Formats: sequence, C-alpha cells, structure tokens
Amino acid sequence: MTRHPPSIDDESLIAALRLTGGHDPVPAHVSAAARAVYGLRMPGATTAQPAATPTPVGVRSADEPRLLRFAAAELTVDLEVTSMDGLVDLAGQVSPPPEAGTRVEVRTLHLTESRELSPTGQFAVTGLPPGWFSVVCHRPEHSSVATSWTRIRP
Amino acid sequence: MSDQHGISAALAGDQAAWDMLVGRFSGLLWSAVRAYDLSAADAADAVQGTWLRLVESLHTIRDPDRIGSWLFTTAKREASLLSRRNRGERLMADTEHAHPDPARAGQVHPDPAVTVLTADEGRRLWRAVEEMHEPCRSLFLLMAAAPDAGVHQLAGRLGMPSGSYGPTRGRCLNRLRTMLTAQEATP
Repeated sequence: MTRHPPSIDDESLIAALRLTGGHDPVPAHVSAAARAVYGLRMPGATTAQPAATPTPVGVRSADEPRLLRFAAAELTVDLEVTSMDGLVDLAGQVSPPPEAGTRVEVRTLHLTESRELSPTGQFAVTGLPPGWFSVVCHRPEHSSVATSWTRIRP
Repeated sequence: MSDQHGISAALAGDQAAWDMLVGRFSGLLWSAVRAYDLSAADAADAVQGTWLRLVESLHTIRDPDRIGSWLFTTAKREASLLSRRNRGERLMADTEHAHPDPARAGQVHPDPAVTVLTADEGRRLWRAVEEMHEPCRSLFLLMAAAPDAGVHQLAGRLGMPSGSYGPTRGRCLNRLRTMLTAQEATP
C-alpha cells in the first residue's frame, strides 16, 4: 500500500514539516476563538447553502453591491452587500416571504442584530464589522433557516 | 474520548466535548492554513472559518473517524481561497464556498496528506529531510524554524535571489515526495 501517493500536494507537505517541526504553535487566541464558535451553533436549524446569484456580477469593487444568494429547501435568502468606511451593510430579501412574525438575526462572531421581517420579506442591517456572518430566519411555525457562514471583507 | 464520542457529545450540547475536538485538531488546522503563506491574521481567519463549517455541519458528519480529514480538507480550501484573494484573483465576496458539500460531509475520502500529519510520519519526514542535499535540507529547516519569515528573508538567509526561492522550494518538495514514495516501495 502506498501511503504517500504523488497526489499529496506541496501545501500538505509544508504543513507536515511545520507541524512536526514544532516552531509554529497555535496562538492562544486562535484556540479560544475556536472554542467560542460552539456558542454559535443553531441546533435544529436548516443551513441555506450558497447558490448562483440571480444576476451576473461585474468587476469586484468596494462601491458596487455584491449579490449573494443562499438557498434552503423551502426558502431563499438574497443579500446585497455594500461596504462603506470599512463597515458592511446588508439588505436582504427572503422569498417567498415567510409567515408573519418571522424574525431575522444577522449574526457575526461578536454581535447579533435582530430585525422584524417586513411583510414582503425584506430586512436591512447597517454598520456590521467585516468578517464572518450568517443570517438566521426564525419562523414561528417552522424550523429556523441559517445561511452558511460567509466571510465579507470591505 | 474518541472522535465518535466527541462528535456525539458535541451534538448533544457538550461544550467540553467540542473543546476536546478543538484541542485535538487545532495544531493540524493551523499548520494546514499556514502552509499557504498566509499572515497570522489571515490564518486565524481561515481556521475560524473551518470551525464555523464544522459547527454548521456537525449533524451531517456520518463518519467521525474521518473528521480529521474533513477538517483538514476544509481548512485547506479556506486558506487557498484567502491566498488567491490576497494575490488579487477575482473572487465573489469570498462566497466561493470553501466547504465540502455538507451532504457528503461524512463521506470525505481520507486525504493522503493527513497520514503525513502524525508524529510518527513527521519523524520519518524529517529523517528524509536530513538525508537531502543542499539547498533543500537548509531550506526545509529554515522554513520550519522561521514560520513568519517572508520569501525575501528566507531567500537571503539561504543566499539565493528572492525569485529563486519559490522554484527551488518546489523542486525540493518534489524530491522529498519522491524520497518518501521510494521508501514505501522498499520493504
């Protein structure tokens, strides 16, 4: 049996050399952040996965909105992302519009913003710190849907 | 605690079980992302993303024995995305998602690389490095000993032009791979 087929890539070899070389220990804050991630789990929530965006996206630029789409079995979350002054604004559309009383949470690693969803399924949150975020729809009669964690940088 | 128990307990809400998974795999993930020449901040970001993927995919993990492979593969993808982004490749808001299809999360094939990332294999790897000629031997020793050194600095210490470092490292990695394969072929 060959344990090291040629398919092992450069980065994996470098990782192995460094890991076993022992000169690059994991910084304490990285492990602490990893432990804290557990507090963000959403038991029972369905994860909406990234899907193709509705319109072609042009040249990436800080001024142009970026469109993201996340799809679960029964609903879609579309997000328009803009950034200003190093912070991130999100305008969202949940479709089809879920039942009345649905609440949307925009979660980042450090803060969570909660919004009542409009009857047409829209919400907006401004001034978020850049980094990882997830949008959760809490529906009164159905299970919650959370968008897969996504990283946004201005 | 086995990975099986760890994942079951983490699913059941046991923070201590999660912390054990973190303790067990943090070093692996850190090395995996640092191999992409990321800064410490970007590497931390990629590792964080990997744990976020796990927390949202925990309930889909069908084969806990392969959790290490799954984490390793996911970390490499996160790091590769960040590295490409840093090099200016056009990516959509980092939404080119880095995680393996969660529906198949339990069926990830064991990454051959993961076998190298054990203490025994690591020692074998370094024995092979010790047998290498220059500049490969020094290059690997330096690369491991100075994880934060940039290409310019590493090249300087090896006495080669900066532009030669990347190609030389590539050739040395190829040699090392060949040596490891040859070792296996010898009973």
